[in-house]
Amino acid sequence: MARAFVRDGSRYVAVLDDSERTVLAGLMEQTRVLLAPEVEPTGDEWGDLVASLGVSLGGGRVAEAGPGEARDPALDRLLPAGHRGDDAIAAEFRRLTEEGLRQRKSGNLDVALARLRATRRGRVVLDHREAAAFVMALTDVRLLLGERLGLRTEEDADALYESLDDLDDDEPTGYAVAWYDFLTWLQETLTVALMGEPGPRV
Amino acid sequence: MRVLPGLTIAMSIAPTQEEVAETGGLLAPEVPWVTIVWNDPVNLMSYVTWVFQTYFGYKRSKAERLMLDVHEKGRAVVSNGPRESMERDAEALQGYGLWATFEKDE
Repeated sequence: MARAFVRDGSRYVAVLDDSERTVLAGLMEQTRVLLAPEVEPTGDEWGDLVASLGVSLGGGRVAEAGPGEARDPALDRLLPAGHRGDDAIAAEFRRLTEEGLRQRKSGNLDVALARLRATRRGRVVLDHREAAAFVMALTDVRLLLGERLGLRTEEDADALYESLDDLDDDEPTGYAVAWYDFLTWLQETLTVALMGEPGPRV
Repeated sequence: MRVLPGLTIAMSIAPTQEEVAETGGLLAPEVPWVTIVWNDPVNLMSYVTWVFQTYFGYKRSKAERLMLDVHEKGRAVVSNGPRESMERDAEALQGYGLWATFEKDE
């Protein structure tokens, strides 16, 4: 049974059991695959910036699905159009920013996955920088899961939750919503911890 | 945006004098581009507030007011300035997972 993120001195600590960590890591890995940049991040911010600029300026695969290959709709939520109403401006923005965004989002997921794998007795321990990366990684995982669940408007969300009562217990949507809710709860507690005053040592 | 039942976020949305002064400084007349954040059903109200505070350095009260604008009106202008700055803000906010766009303020 999970224990929420709390501030512990300069650290942010949650306790997640084995299955919770396994599922969370699996969802993060799926999100990481979808967001994989052309040039993998190295952790060196300046080097990564230069590499992403090279990809943005040199063309390459960025943003453009190949012939007969549809762009995953989840990517339109994780990397949305930067301009509504002018496709040319949106395309230019995407060309210049997509590789860098993929690198940063992948970097956040890498930090989160590394911390999840470094737990002892289920304790996920983050410093401030790791906590910021972790909360952003949780956002991208929830955006992907939300897109798969068809959550595009507030009305979609209301309809989904209303439909849950009619679902059989073994319906996959029910599991997905349960994990989505778990991630929502986890993200809320980490966000509140990040925004709050330093808590008591635990 | 979603807010979890049982987890109440302290909200103080009354504008302060300081905040009014801050807004006045931002709205220079010669800056015709804006960054917009759109409502979505996934991002949390607390998280959106944290992003506005963290990225823009906005005070909690201003960040919460903008977050509520996004939530209630469906969108909010979160910054304005030259086009290059708005592209940079939209990119950064997309990095946080917010649904951000930029456009000419017309």
